Amino acid sequence: MSVDEILLRSRFQPLGRILIYDIFNNGLNGWMTIMPNFTEYPDFDVPKTLVNKDQWPPVMLSTATFRYPGTHGSLSGTYSMKVSTRPTANPYSEMPAEGSMGHAIKRLSFSRPGSRYLQIEAWFSYTAEQDVVDGGDRPQPGLHENSIREFGMGFDTQEGGKRYFSGMRYLNAVDGKLAQKWQYVLSADGITDKEWAYGLEGDWCKKGIDPWWFGRRYPNGDHDGFRDLPDGRQPLIYNETDDKLNWQYMRLKIDTISHEYVEFQCQDRIWDLRGIPLDVVDGYKRIDNLINPVFWVSTDTNRRVFLYVDSVVVSQE
Amino acid sequence: MKMFQDAHLEVKKFFSGSFCTNPYEAGWADEAIFFILVEKQLGEPVMTARVQLSQDGVHFTDDGSSPVTISGIGQHFIKVQPNFGNYLRLAVKIEGGEMFLNIHIACKG
Repeated sequence: MSVDEILLRSRFQPLGRILIYDIFNNGLNGWMTIMPNFTEYPDFDVPKTLVNKDQWPPVMLSTATFRYPGTHGSLSGTYSMKVSTRPTANPYSEMPAEGSMGHAIKRLSFSRPGSRYLQIEAWFSYTAEQDVVDGGDRPQPGLHENSIREFGMGFDTQEGGKRYFSGMRYLNAVDGKLAQKWQYVLSADGITDKEWAYGLEGDWCKKGIDPWWFGRRYPNGDHDGFRDLPDGRQPLIYNETDDKLNWQYMRLKIDTISHEYVEFQCQDRIWDLRGIPLDVVDGYKRIDNLINPVFWVSTDTNRRVFLYVDSVVVSQE
Repeated sequence: MKMFQDAHLEVKKFFSGSFCTNPYEAGWADEAIFFILVEKQLGEPVMTARVQLSQDGVHFTDDGSSPVTISGIGQHFIKVQPNFGNYLRLAVKIEGGEMFLNIHIACKG
């Protein structure tokens, strides 16, 4: 048994059939940034959209190198996958600013009839850029934990003519105030497509689709695309300075037949999610049987923030 | 087999004046090329671009190579000098008009 196989069984809890085991120390393995659709006349132009995605930085193989300690490296070696933002943000309750989010996606598909469960698990860390010290009106103005608005992981899936979204996000801070709680993807009841698009005309979006960047947000941290996980507050390890990373574990399991969440784990806490429905909408053309695992991160202020993913396993049974 | 990764830094936008590309980590790579595709332009813009290096991704400095001047619609490139470390960006100045740009970095190592 190789070291990688030993680590797979000791660091992860894969279901019976492993679709991917990506260790980013070995490369990006097909993970990339979500880009606009280049489909329009006259020169592969982008359809009109409210949320411009072309400012999201590309995913990078990161050494996590900082000003003072130098290279932090990753759990599995030197490199991890860095999902990052630009140094720009809107207030929480507004539409995300261009470049205030970063996404990573890998594009897979269903391949075995009868598979019920789908699971994603990853070792990750996160930090804010050590760019400038904030004003001295609070303790540790060089500690930027509250610059990170959110990060998360989940699935965009479609099969049997139904598209469904699932995911967990760690709502870390809302307009500079730490929230540090988990929320799951499920759009609010009674929302129109227009309301889903911030009340603005001119987009093609449908309620429940792409909650990462659609769905109204409210000053108290509520979101039309996410709901609070019961007993979901969980301060994670941010350590004492922006340049100290601790590698942490999270795992999400869903039921692709009953279209329900099953279980979520972060660090050593496990939540039973059975009975919570996935967000199911009518399917889109050309993507039936799609499985797209995603990671994302958002900044809460005009500062880059980073989600580092060391390794990820997607499995089914 | 070597690794290769091409990444977008800017996509289908008009630019004028001065700007820097978002920092890109390329510590794994032995070589890096900035590709600059001018899809269309307004006026008669001329770009001057310099490769910049950084230890921490925050503080950048010119890499010591000569600035590169670019004009005209079509594909252009800037080969990054060897020994570039980890963080890379391009410092750009466009004068005389606007350029509609795709800027990518292609790394191999």
